[in-house]
Amino acid sequence: MERDNHQEGEAQGVKICDPPSESNPAADTLATSLSLLGNHMFPDSVERNERLGVNREVPADSLLSDVTAEESSLDAETPSNQIMKPETECQDNVSTQPAADRGTEDSAIDNDQSNSEEFVVTMLAKAKLEEQGLGVKGRSSPLLEAGNQESPAFMSHRDEDVTADSWRAHRKHVFVLSEAGKPIYSRYGSEEALSSTMGVMMALVSFVQSGDNIIRSVYSEEHTVVFLQKGPLVLVCVSSSRQSEQQLRAELLYVYYQIISMLTQASISRIFEHKKNYDLRRLLAGSEKILDGLLNMVDSDPSFLLAAVHCLPLASSLRDSLSQILQKAITPNLVFSILIAKNQLLTIVQEKTVIEDTRLEPTDIHLLLNLIGASSAFQAGEIWTPICLPLFNPDCYFYAYISYLDPPECTVCLLLLSTDKEAFYAVADCKRKIEEAMVAQNSLSLIAKAQSYSVSQVGVSDLRHFMYKPFDVPDNYRQLTQFTSPEMEAPYSSEEEKMRLLDLYRYMHSRIHSTSRPLKLIYHVAERETLLAWVTSKFELYTCFSPLVTKACAITAITKLLRWIKKEEDRLFIRYPPKYSTTPNPSKSSRGGKSDQQDSTDNGFLSLL
Amino acid sequence: MPDMSKMKKPDVKVVLLGDMNVGKTSLLHRYMERKFKDTVSTVGGAFFLKQWGPYNISIWDTAGREQFHGLGSMYCRGAAAVILTYDVTNWQSLAELEERFLSLTDTANHDCIYAIVGNKADLTDSKAHLSRDSDGQSENQTECEEGRTEPEVLSACPTPPASPASLSGLMLHKQVTREDAVALYGRILRYKGLEEKSSLPAEKMCFETSAKTGYNVDALFEALFDLVLPSILRKRHENQESPTVDLEECRGVSGKKARSSCC
Repeated sequence: MERDNHQEGEAQGVKICDPPSESNPAADTLATSLSLLGNHMFPDSVERNERLGVNREVPADSLLSDVTAEESSLDAETPSNQIMKPETECQDNVSTQPAADRGTEDSAIDNDQSNSEEFVVTMLAKAKLEEQGLGVKGRSSPLLEAGNQESPAFMSHRDEDVTADSWRAHRKHVFVLSEAGKPIYSRYGSEEALSSTMGVMMALVSFVQSGDNIIRSVYSEEHTVVFLQKGPLVLVCVSSSRQSEQQLRAELLYVYYQIISMLTQASISRIFEHKKNYDLRRLLAGSEKILDGLLNMVDSDPSFLLAAVHCLPLASSLRDSLSQILQKAITPNLVFSILIAKNQLLTIVQEKTVIEDTRLEPTDIHLLLNLIGASSAFQAGEIWTPICLPLFNPDCYFYAYISYLDPPECTVCLLLLSTDKEAFYAVADCKRKIEEAMVAQNSLSLIAKAQSYSVSQVGVSDLRHFMYKPFDVPDNYRQLTQFTSPEMEAPYSSEEEKMRLLDLYRYMHSRIHSTSRPLKLIYHVAERETLLAWVTSKFELYTCFSPLVTKACAITAITKLLRWIKKEEDRLFIRYPPKYSTTPNPSKSSRGGKSDQQDSTDNGFLSLL
Repeated sequence: MPDMSKMKKPDVKVVLLGDMNVGKTSLLHRYMERKFKDTVSTVGGAFFLKQWGPYNISIWDTAGREQFHGLGSMYCRGAAAVILTYDVTNWQSLAELEERFLSLTDTANHDCIYAIVGNKADLTDSKAHLSRDSDGQSENQTECEEGRTEPEVLSACPTPPASPASLSGLMLHKQVTREDAVALYGRILRYKGLEEKSSLPAEKMCFETSAKTGYNVDALFEALFDLVLPSILRKRHENQESPTVDLEECRGVSGKKARSSCC
């Protein structure tokens, strides 16, 4: 995650915009397709879009400086002269051309563009043809009618009328399509109804691509459109949430990873190499709820923003005893044992040889938690399913055993990951051992008592809420990235207020992590609260205070807060993720089990790599 | 597999197969928990242990999605009974049984029995509204209101039906008849190289059920369990004959003794 952002930052740094300065027909076509997309996505600005056309020359920097100029720019209106502008990124071959060759280079680009112009025209004509089948004609754009294409006889709760204002009013749309323009997923409305809209999106992507560029984003007054191309998939986010482009792109990456977790990267590439216009929905059918769930979590859970895992606060003695229970219930090829309560991590233990090579990334854990949340309808059974952890290895499957330990309440969930497809009965047996041990130690009732904490426990009067994420320091290098945060309490108890606070945090986060002007410390006086964000080499901290706090007060409060966290560290975080070795005789593995360890590597772990 | 010995040993294995959205999970849920509720698409497969009299029957509820197709033959390994499920309102779901799912059963026992089950009978048949099973009808009615995941239902009856009579006007077209299912059963026997005369008759092995109302659900599972009883008994017998010592049994006995003596 972090690395990706960094790369993007560099890419932006070397961004050069090739100026096809005269408005050539190709650019007009781009303008048309943009406004067509605009018609559909944000009709209020249609007229202006059409007048404005597209400005490809606006340097990215001026745009960024608009955003970063003012402390209070969150509430400020975006300057209206920059309603629609695609930010394009040049690839190296353009920048390495000597200046003298410019002329020929330009003509080459023109050729490409006229080709792609044809392509765009074809795409649009195709889209229109589809619509004409309906016989709907009028002054409005044909794309507006896209939704009527499907007979409404098969309406489900998922199928929204994509022509309705309520559909457009959604805060954040996410679309996934294949490079051939085939719809794969839409967060709202059915993919069929949106096939022409997605066709236009693909036309935009291909058009910019034909000029050796990559389309990254389009800004309008109300919306930000962000594009992400990953292998044969194109992901598009249309957001009115005022989040930064990087944040939105990171969210699209989560969607991509969730798809990978179900199908693996290797199989997706194989499928599309074999058949360019394959309908991936055949394989993803039934998984829409998992993607819906992910997007809801991304919007409401700061774990995704911070790329860190939130674990349930627990007395370290209890956490240790749970870890020991997990450590004792092992079987060959078992790699991770994870205990979850109330959708938060209790503990995680890992096979020794695995942790020496790599660690479990927060993203992978988020995807696992989301999978559990989305598949919990029938909770009495024991689930056995293949799942890929994209950051661990995007091309291979683990086999996940999922079972609840406290039916019928179903709050405590055990997740065991094995590399052996056939190991269900062996792994299920581990669960029974864990269950027995937990009954013996009365663990379930102790877990039931565990809960998140209140900010009042910190004992700082003006502090309303905070998020604290310690960074890896050398001595716990291979540790899971975590963060801690109290419950959101009044005045942030309603859903709207929670979202408002999260939006403020997202804004602070985008300022801290801005690629053009990263900041270390921000003191932000908002309308109804004061926020302070601080990033050092040791931690990243976001705090929210009552509006009347003074700067000096806030600084003192943070000192107190840091001291409190230090004191509570053992309870708030998983300090030392325990390891085990899945050798046949675990009692002897502590000393001299080297050769046995090799064995377990051979029959299990290597098959993954 | 040595690992298997440690688990409470299932006597026999039953597998539910069929296309997505035909209602495999709902069928099982109706049988196990006597309820019909909204389910989400199954991931992979889910394992259930059913205590049936003195016997432990393991039931695998598999995902119908193509995504998990590769796992199918694993779930079927050593199965004593396979329930091939289709949706009576969807002809394709019956065709899929033959095209996609039949080959998965190659890993099942050679004497495995096959049941063909047409679910969602309540949508096409008014008699399926009157539950033949012991469940209270009033309870069913309230649960029906929770609705289903399948789009057909929502479109067919936007408001829950007050009585079967009012529903009959909204009946969906039955795309798969019982004769189609019987014909498929014959083809399955042929695929397995079994004689029709020596096998269980199609009339006995083709069911139409409704997980929503409970119609025929218990009848299906109970009939099937009765039919696998011989293979349960044979397996138990084989285990007794087996020259290997069952450590689990010994440990269980000694463990109990130890506990009772110390307390």
